Amino acid sequence: MAEKAILYDAIRCTACRGCQVACKQWNENDEFIPIVENGVQAINRGSYENPPDLSPTTWLKMEFREYDTAGGVRWLFSRRACMHCIDAGCVRVCPNGSLYHHESGFVAYNKDTCTGCGYCIEACPFSVPRSTRNLLTGIAKMDKCTFCTTPGLDRIAEGWEPACVKTCPTNALEYDDRNELVAEGKKRVQALKAKGYSNAYFYGDKELDGLHVMYVLDDSPEVYGLPANPQISAATIAWQDVIQPLGWALGGLTLVGLGINYLVAREAKLTKELPGKKEK
Amino acid sequence: MAQEVERYRKPTRILHWVHAGAFIALFLTGLILFIPQLGFLAEDSWTRLIHRIAAVVFIVAPLIYIPMNWKTTLRGIKDAFTWGAEDIGWLQAAPRYYMLCDEEAMPPQGHMNTGQKMWWFMAIVFGVIFVLTGLIMWFAKGAAPAALLQWMVFLHDVAFIATGLMFFVHIYMSVVHPLVRPLRTGAWNSMARGKVSVDYARSHHAKWYEEVTKAKEVQTK
Repeated sequence: MAEKAILYDAIRCTACRGCQVACKQWNENDEFIPIVENGVQAINRGSYENPPDLSPTTWLKMEFREYDTAGGVRWLFSRRACMHCIDAGCVRVCPNGSLYHHESGFVAYNKDTCTGCGYCIEACPFSVPRSTRNLLTGIAKMDKCTFCTTPGLDRIAEGWEPACVKTCPTNALEYDDRNELVAEGKKRVQALKAKGYSNAYFYGDKELDGLHVMYVLDDSPEVYGLPANPQISAATIAWQDVIQPLGWALGGLTLVGLGINYLVAREAKLTKELPGKKEK
Repeated sequence: MAQEVERYRKPTRILHWVHAGAFIALFLTGLILFIPQLGFLAEDSWTRLIHRIAAVVFIVAPLIYIPMNWKTTLRGIKDAFTWGAEDIGWLQAAPRYYMLCDEEAMPPQGHMNTGQKMWWFMAIVFGVIFVLTGLIMWFAKGAAPAALLQWMVFLHDVAFIATGLMFFVHIYMSVVHPLVRPLRTGAWNSMARGKVSVDYARSHHAKWYEEVTKAKEVQTK
């Protein structure tokens, strides 16, 4: 199966948030709606953004940014959801392979086998995974964008595009083979540069060996709230690639050492006791 | 009946076994996170719940023990952090002693020999690291910065590896090694029944035996 990806074009996006709604609707992520009828006073957070953050039932959210320029202010939109990295921190730290790379390349997970450890939440360079977690018992389940492979609601297996892409009215979201989208994205960024957007940037081509959600931006990634240089954290590497293999090696050596010691010491003790037949 | 010396009082023995039980539960529920093939056992967080219950026992047991046994606690901590030239003597003699069962090679030892002291020292240091990093991961998850939480996992793992390995060494040295067979003599007796024979005390912990008998003489005077 060819490697698939989503291309998000921030210039085409009108921030209608249709993708946000389609995501919730298709994946059956109903959520308590904080409105006056539900006993919640309306809160003005000074933004069109709503809800305020990703959550176990909000896998995709549109972000609105006001960016001061010399001449005035620019209103920028950006899509926030799992980036489906090729070198994914969450997949590295998941203790039992609940998070894995789907055959089309993106990062899927098996919620049934999730242990709720939350390591993925801390390992994600984009702070995407969320979990429902009981503080006292620690019982938890992680959730994030499944790339529409939610069991029973698997659009990808049907050969369809993800729900967010399907609903996008301006084609700001596109779904295709990753290679095609990389070429297309680069072309658009070149066009932007030619138009005078000198900071225009194609995000997701090389970041973390490549992302499966890529961005056409008319300015630098930081302006759109994306980390310029996302990295697998040093702690992830120290713990996954150094300490764990070292632990297994030391564990093996210890058990072998104790076994050898037992054989040698038993032999020594027997030979010592035999000739004199001393009573112990 | 042979004369015996008390080595561990009842509260100390209870603490030992309660802590051992909690440690085994914590060790096993932690270990499965390192073995992907066994990861299915951790599904739906049940082992996380067991891990927490055992953690409470692990933390509360010494908190009950310490105020009730101040003197033993202080002496124990002092022992763990008192190291000297004699410990080098043990290290030099240890290979002959433990490999060749050459019991004459060993210089006289105190209440704990150097090997026991190393384990006891690790138990204190890594025990504290376990508890601190564990509590942060338990209660500060989501609130603390991700990097801090990741380094807490790292330290928890380091402590896990160090104590996990020493745990096997500890069991081996106390009940499996040819020198401790049959079990009725030394280490097992001292933690199971609290007492060891005078013979054993004199041959394995000569310095300690001297102290005990001196203290007794002072008392009887």
